[in-house]
Amino acid sequence: MRKIYGLTLGGLQQKIFNLVLISIILIIAVFIGAAYYQTAKLTKVVGDARNGQQAAIKQVSEETMHKVVDGSLTKVNALQAYIADDMFADVKSDVMTMQTLAAELFDNRDALAPYPVYPPDKANEGSISSQVLCESGVDYRNSEYLKVASHMAATLEAMYKNSGKLSNCYIGLADGTLLCVDEHAANKFDENGNIIPFPVRDRSWYKNAASSGKLYFSGIEEDTYTKKIGVTCAAPVYSNGQLVAVVGADIFLEAMSEYVNASTAEGGFICVVNNDGQIIFAPENNGIFEVETSDEAEDLRSSENKELADFVTAALNEKTGLCVVNAGDRICYMTGTPISSVGWAVISVVDKAVTEMSANQLLDEYDKINLEASGQYEQGKTQSLAFTMLILALVFITALYAAQKVAGRILEPVESMTKNIIHTAETGEYFEMKDLYKTGDEIEVLAEAFNDLSQKTKQYIEHITEITKEKERISTELDLARRIQADMLPNIYPPFPERPELDIYATMTPAKEVGGDFYDFFLIDDDHLGMVMADVSGKGVPAALFMMMSKILINDFAMQGASPAKVLEETNAVICRNNEEEMFVTVWFGVMEISTGKIKAANAGHEYPIIRKANGEFELFKDKHGFVIGGMEGIRYKEYDMQLEKGGTLFLYTDGVPEATDTHDNMFGTERLLKVLDKNKDTDSRELLTKIKLSVDEFVGDGDQFDDLTMLAITLL
Amino acid sequence: MTINKTRENETLTVTIEGRLDTTTAPQLEAELKSSLDDIKKLVFDIKDLEYISSAGLRVLLSAQKVMNKQGNMVVKGANESVMEIFEVTGFVDILNIE
Repeated sequence: MRKIYGLTLGGLQQKIFNLVLISIILIIAVFIGAAYYQTAKLTKVVGDARNGQQAAIKQVSEETMHKVVDGSLTKVNALQAYIADDMFADVKSDVMTMQTLAAELFDNRDALAPYPVYPPDKANEGSISSQVLCESGVDYRNSEYLKVASHMAATLEAMYKNSGKLSNCYIGLADGTLLCVDEHAANKFDENGNIIPFPVRDRSWYKNAASSGKLYFSGIEEDTYTKKIGVTCAAPVYSNGQLVAVVGADIFLEAMSEYVNASTAEGGFICVVNNDGQIIFAPENNGIFEVETSDEAEDLRSSENKELADFVTAALNEKTGLCVVNAGDRICYMTGTPISSVGWAVISVVDKAVTEMSANQLLDEYDKINLEASGQYEQGKTQSLAFTMLILALVFITALYAAQKVAGRILEPVESMTKNIIHTAETGEYFEMKDLYKTGDEIEVLAEAFNDLSQKTKQYIEHITEITKEKERISTELDLARRIQADMLPNIYPPFPERPELDIYATMTPAKEVGGDFYDFFLIDDDHLGMVMADVSGKGVPAALFMMMSKILINDFAMQGASPAKVLEETNAVICRNNEEEMFVTVWFGVMEISTGKIKAANAGHEYPIIRKANGEFELFKDKHGFVIGGMEGIRYKEYDMQLEKGGTLFLYTDGVPEATDTHDNMFGTERLLKVLDKNKDTDSRELLTKIKLSVDEFVGDGDQFDDLTMLAITLL
Repeated sequence: MTINKTRENETLTVTIEGRLDTTTAPQLEAELKSSLDDIKKLVFDIKDLEYISSAGLRVLLSAQKVMNKQGNMVVKGANESVMEIFEVTGFVDILNIE
């Protein structure tokens, strides 16, 4: 494993390190997420509050302004209307006084002496004077009416003087003469110095007052002499039911015009509407209303702007209070009050935008402050974020460093232990317990377990060494036993050098170290050869011991000269007496008379012998079988005869030969055995057994040798 | 080798399949040792027994001796090669072969 900056790559340290790393990253991610969420929420709250406050300010301000405008504009408007009305009412009162006076005079005309009145005198220009004018073709000196009306001269002069608003006052008489008072006597002359005739009864004020029969206010008119705009108030005078005169007074409306024009200050203005809905006074360029004095001027009551039409209609009839009127591209506060004496109305107008200006300024200021605060907040936020990130980075680095160190410290004993264990495994030394491992946690438990394991392993190794030694000893002893067993069996060839007619050879190949098979051959006397082939049930040392006993017993009884059957019966009797292990042995035993080749034999459960006549084939000799030796007490065996011809061969074997098994569980079998025997019938006994062994080995191949392999061949030469 | 034991009252039927030789005989011996008590009749069904060695024969002989004392024993279904072994070894005279 590679190390980088004290971190073992791919090791547990790195894994712990990774775990800590992931945890820290997750925590930081959650922290940053939460911080961003909070900040965004706060920013939104601040923004919302700002918008809300702005809306509130705007609303409150608008309401306040509405109230202020309503209070001031409506009051001022009413006052203006009152003043105007008052002005007209004064004139009206003057005219009515004149009317009454004139009527009185005419009713009492008989009692009146003439009072001297004269035509205009240029010398009186600039001072108040009463002047007589008449229609062309009328001589005032003949006028009866003037004699009466002349008594009003002083009154008219006084009235003119006191009023201050009148441009003149006069009484037009039904005979075409006129008595008037003013300060402009010079105006009454033409360029030639002649007095200009005055068509009294053709004047509109005369005609209108006469035809209506009551007090009458004219529209806006230009003064005949001064060309100034003004209004005429006239009233008819009757005496004895006859129209005798029309009294009248003119007032200039310059003052009103000036006042109206001057009203554009403060973002609003006033205007005056006459009884026909026409604007008669309005400041120039006010953007809404235009003064049009002609009869064709627009009647605002039937304006296309319904709001305006309704408002004007209302204003001519009553106080409107404060109305909001949409006048073209502007929204205006309007209030109107009728001037009842003339049937006109004064309208005050303020652009709504103007009333809101201060509120907008306030809002702008508030916005500025807010933006500044927001900017500071944003800046603070950024700084705070940067600071937080710095702290997080520090925490991150510190945590990683700590994680590496802690992981390193945790793993130091593990690493040391790993080395220690590898060393232990390589050298076989004891695991060395160190203080480093006494961590009080799993590591200590692990170390103790290793310590224990290492000691136990050492003990096991020692134990196994002992067992191996023991096994070696047993093996050696078994080897020795096998040698003893082999030594017990005749194994020196030729066994009977003095008997050249006997070609005997025998082999025993045990399946385990010591086998249960045995063969034997021995001379009982000069002419009798005993031959034994036997197979003990089972294998190993018990079988070998059992075999030893059997071999010795058979040999003993045979040497006593007993017949083969008798030998087997006696042997069985002895073995059965002490056979707790219930082992048994199959035995073929035969005694051959060497000189004749006659064999007497008995078979205790053993394989059939195989015999070959001289120049013949090998054949199974199916003899009579008795039961195995050791199986049951009191068994009787039958004896039979065989003839081994000169040149013939007797082959004895144990079941290990025909029952030798290949890897496919096929047995060698007697058929195959006979064929191999026949194939090698011309060889001597030793060669014959060698060939059979080779054939069996070849047949078995990689298969195990299950059973002992024991053979004996004897050829009589 | 496979051994199957079926008990019906006092009759125990032991079915043996495969090879009964030095390596497998101790197993059969152990099986029998633990189950022959109270058995009046022991039946060996060996129709699927392929081979029997002397060690196997010894187990059969031991069983026969036990059964001689407490009842009887029958061996049935032996195939040709097994039968031949019984004949060669003289077991045909000792065992009750059906």
